[in-house]
Amino acid sequence: MNCRELKTAQTPYLDGELIAEARQDVEAHLATCPACAKRVEIERHNLTVIKQASQDGSPKAPQTLRSRVFDSVRQDDTRRRRVRAIKLSAAAAGLTLAVVAANHQYRAFQRSLFERDAALRHARQFPLEIQKPHAQDIERWFGGKLDYPVNVPRFVNATAAGARLLQVRDKPAAYIRYDAPRPMGLFVYGDDHEVDVGAEPAVGSSNGFNVVSWRNGDVVYQLVTDLEEQDIRELLPPPPGATTPVLDVRPAALQR
Amino acid sequence: MLGFSRTNQSRADFEALVSPWLDGLYAAALRLTRNERNAEDLVQDTVMRAWRFFEKFEKGTNFRAWLFKILTNTFINSYRRNTREKSLQDESERQSVEAQFFSPDTTEQAANPEEYLLDRVMREDVLKAIDGLPIDFRMVVILADLQEFSYKEIAEVLDIPVGTVMSRLFRGRKALQKTLVDAERQGCAAQAAEAIDLNAWRERKKLG
Repeated sequence: MNCRELKTAQTPYLDGELIAEARQDVEAHLATCPACAKRVEIERHNLTVIKQASQDGSPKAPQTLRSRVFDSVRQDDTRRRRVRAIKLSAAAAGLTLAVVAANHQYRAFQRSLFERDAALRHARQFPLEIQKPHAQDIERWFGGKLDYPVNVPRFVNATAAGARLLQVRDKPAAYIRYDAPRPMGLFVYGDDHEVDVGAEPAVGSSNGFNVVSWRNGDVVYQLVTDLEEQDIRELLPPPPGATTPVLDVRPAALQR
Repeated sequence: MLGFSRTNQSRADFEALVSPWLDGLYAAALRLTRNERNAEDLVQDTVMRAWRFFEKFEKGTNFRAWLFKILTNTFINSYRRNTREKSLQDESERQSVEAQFFSPDTTEQAANPEEYLLDRVMREDVLKAIDGLPIDFRMVVILADLQEFSYKEIAEVLDIPVGTVMSRLFRGRKALQKTLVDAERQGCAAQAAEAIDLNAWRERKKLG
């Protein structure tokens, strides 16, 4: 190593940035060259003085700055957590809504299957097994044939033609047919809340019939009729929870 | 809930990591902005930026270098815009500035008959001399001599090659020493002048 090379290596040498081999080269040269040794010594001294003075002369971060900085971080953290929580709950709410909507749709679809089945069976006019107009006779006939007591609603102005056993989908059902004043079929079957209907009658339609469904506990009633929905609504004011809804099946024009 | 405890943990981690370097950040910010108010703002911006990007920080890598990289980038991006200091991006401009600052005369003088700086050199003078360096040299000197980063770290912080770090450091330090040596000489001259004045005053007094 000559003096010119040493000048290049001097800065990294003093900063401790040379690999061992290069450092040994520098030190070998310095041992034999007083001029370079002197210059490096001065440089080392000045570097130390400058480093020391600049470091000692630098003030620490003011306490106010320190707390301000970390307060900002904390605030930002709180804000972000809040936003995240809102997003999370919004997502959860959205999901809940979707589930509720999907469930609602599913249950409406399920009910429509029962409505359709009831309408189709009513339309086929199966022969009746008992032909008696009185509700008590019909109830007595069904006694023991099904897992649940069949309470035949006492419809005002409606006359039963008779009854038989039928099914609505896979559920054994009592079927009561009325001929007057309009042909109607009533299905009564046990259901463990598979059919989405409450005590309040719900009107659906299938295969040209309107189907009115309501529930009394674990028993579902489905009335299949060709009456207009509006007529049915006017005809059906049964109080929720009424065990035997009273139907005035006369056309609206004849009522009042 | 798991997510919440994780952010709590992450904020605690962050504070613990930043806290030891806050003094260093402030010291560097003071030399960069040359103004206490701006230095505080710069540190605040830097820490907030670091916090926002904390998730991107690779655990186990050099956090201090990462912090100072954010500091210098923040400074370059926002603070320099507000000062009259011009960027040295343009190469011809850079060369002209360097030529002006490091005239052959300066380099020669600095490189040749070196002088010992006084051990009791005033801290304020050293800081003032650093503040007087053009920004590209100042950044390297701040990182190397004030913060004692390695060349490799400085190269990483400033996104420049190690060779550039070395040459800027060499020339920055030379300029710094020249300024300080000149200041000391002037200081001596001023003292001598004062002494002469005092003698003159005594002479006048004696005569009077």
